[in-house]
Amino acid sequence: MANLPVGLVSHTRRVQTLYKKAVRSLEDWYDRREVFRYHAVLMRQRFDQNKDICDMRVAKDLVEKGEKELFEKQHWHPRKFPESPGGVAYGREVVPPDWVVDYWHPLEKAQYPEYFARREERKKEFMKAWEKKYGKPQISTH
Amino acid sequence: MMKLLYSYFKLFLFFSIFLFIMGLKFMNKNYSMMIEYEVLTLNSSSMMMVILLDWMSLLFMSFVLFISSMVIYYSAEYMAEEKNLIRFILLVILFVLSMMLLIISPNMISILLGWDGLGLVSYCLVIYYQNMKSYNAGMLTALSNRIGDVAILMAIAWMMNFGSWNYIYYLEMMKGDSIMEMISYLIVLAAMTKSAQIPFSSWLPAAMAAPTPVSSLVHSSTLVTAGVYLLIRFNFSLTDNLLYLLLFVASMTMFMSGLAANFEYDLKKIIALSTLSQLGLMMSILALGSYKLTFFHLLVHALFKALLFMCAGNIIHNMMNCQDIRYMGNLMEKMPMTCTFFNICNLSLCGLPFLSGFFSKDLIVEFMSMNYLNIYIYIIMYISIGLTVSYSFRLSYYSLIGDFNFLSLNVVSELSMIMLKGMGGLILFVIFSGSLLEWVMFFEPIFICLPMVMKLMALIMIIMGMFIGYEVAKFKLGYSLKSLKFMTFSLFSSLMWNMPLISTLGVNYYPLFLGKVYTKIFDQGWHEYYGGKNLKLLAKFSQVSQSFSRSHLKIYFLLLILWVVFLLLNI
Repeated sequence: MANLPVGLVSHTRRVQTLYKKAVRSLEDWYDRREVFRYHAVLMRQRFDQNKDICDMRVAKDLVEKGEKELFEKQHWHPRKFPESPGGVAYGREVVPPDWVVDYWHPLEKAQYPEYFARREERKKEFMKAWEKKYGKPQISTH
Repeated sequence: MMKLLYSYFKLFLFFSIFLFIMGLKFMNKNYSMMIEYEVLTLNSSSMMMVILLDWMSLLFMSFVLFISSMVIYYSAEYMAEEKNLIRFILLVILFVLSMMLLIISPNMISILLGWDGLGLVSYCLVIYYQNMKSYNAGMLTALSNRIGDVAILMAIAWMMNFGSWNYIYYLEMMKGDSIMEMISYLIVLAAMTKSAQIPFSSWLPAAMAAPTPVSSLVHSSTLVTAGVYLLIRFNFSLTDNLLYLLLFVASMTMFMSGLAANFEYDLKKIIALSTLSQLGLMMSILALGSYKLTFFHLLVHALFKALLFMCAGNIIHNMMNCQDIRYMGNLMEKMPMTCTFFNICNLSLCGLPFLSGFFSKDLIVEFMSMNYLNIYIYIIMYISIGLTVSYSFRLSYYSLIGDFNFLSLNVVSELSMIMLKGMGGLILFVIFSGSLLEWVMFFEPIFICLPMVMKLMALIMIIMGMFIGYEVAKFKLGYSLKSLKFMTFSLFSSLMWNMPLISTLGVNYYPLFLGKVYTKIFDQGWHEYYGGKNLKLLAKFSQVSQSFSRSHLKIYFLLLILWVVFLLLNI
């Protein structure tokens, strides 16, 4: 959600974002650490070269060119940790939440009468404990 | 739960050894056995349940059972922490059963049963993990395989003309008759989908979303060779034109996947692409006319590829599901046994002399060199062999040696004894099965007579492949990256010649577009006007016709008489 284009992005932050993305992209391409460090330094130098440009038109043009280059040189298989979004094992195991059981059909529930009888008891106990701790839920007026 | 796993392991191992001995006996005595149950005979077309046992089916069954027993043993540890272990085990058992059904049946209908079973079970196994990637991959797998299922269904319908579906009796007839040739075309189409040949090859790397033991059993050694096996059974019915087409497609598949594997970074996908390349090799040697060599390579490849996947699974398991080879490196030190197995399999895949892959691959390329073929086949075959070596060495370079590239705090170690035992069960066969099978399958030696340079060609290509694989992967400070420099080429190759795009967006876009148009014009246009809006006209008409018959007994009788008259007139 953080990437939604809401609000204004200052030029500085745009350059910073570009820099970070560029270095991440270098990480995809140069996969040995020391080689990556070398190229990251080179990349830093490319950014540093233009840091003193005060003419906003030129600076903006440079950023746009940089973003275009980043897009053109993006890796086809970016590095991702397996559990992070976009990784191979992201969201692999879906554990159905407990309340799903409450939405079973009565006929299904009737297959396990003892379990559901006890479950109802436990629910009541839980509600009692909740109300004791936090008080009765307020009914909102709107 | 584990008890169930081990009992299946023992059962499969027992049957595998039994069937192997039976297969050797059948081969030695040149037996083949057919067991027929007649189910139904209708209008001179008979439906039979036939079981064909000959050395081929027995040996293939024994290999499938052996690999699956090892994989089941292996998954006792790999899948130990899974919540849905029962589902997993049952699916694997179902898979083995449908594979058995496919192997022993010389009848189109029972083949369809096995074939569809394979497709369905493989879909369920691909979507075993429940994230979006698995879902997409499963859909791609299922729908690609569906094309083959439909082709077999159509072949069954067309075979109605023979009066029976035991294709094994009609192979010569299929070749001779121009109308019945259709069956062999459909069968080749089906085999191409199952073995992931070129228009359909995007599903195999995608199917790597399945758990690794499944990839080891299903997507490398058995399911994908079902298509090749079917063609081995049908090979007498394939006409020359069809074989040339198959040769072209298979050689392109072999080349494409070898190339793509050189640009891939996912450990499992590299091995899947290597499987694809070997399938192309099998198909092309089949198209060159030696079904026995195809079968030989099929068996040997099944063994070493299953073990390769199991090693990869061990690595992935230890690296906490991380499959990216850029995070690996120096595993040789951390997991020496696994890496030894890995290396042996890789070298066997490359065709290092006297490992099992050497016997089949060397024979195949020399058989190919002996034929008088065009230069295209010759060159693409040898280049593909070089590419195989190249990606294998790149993979070794990335994962086995160099610096460890994962988290600095890690627990990569080799303490998983059950997995290692499962792998160790296969390793002897990976080393020795090639020579063993060659001795028993080719009791008359194949005569190879080649000039020195052509004989050495395989070796030259292998050495070149080693060099290129090393050079592609090598990194030094200040090297300009070639895959970045020739971005268009590397992107094109790594995307398997845009095959995944073609078989997803390429086939989705126009149907969806047409669907939109139809919805707009028909559902909400003409149909709405003549259907929904003007249904009241119909209602009005039925009101009128009802008023005729309302308490008019005379009209009832009249209608009855009219009906009888019409009935008599029709006769």
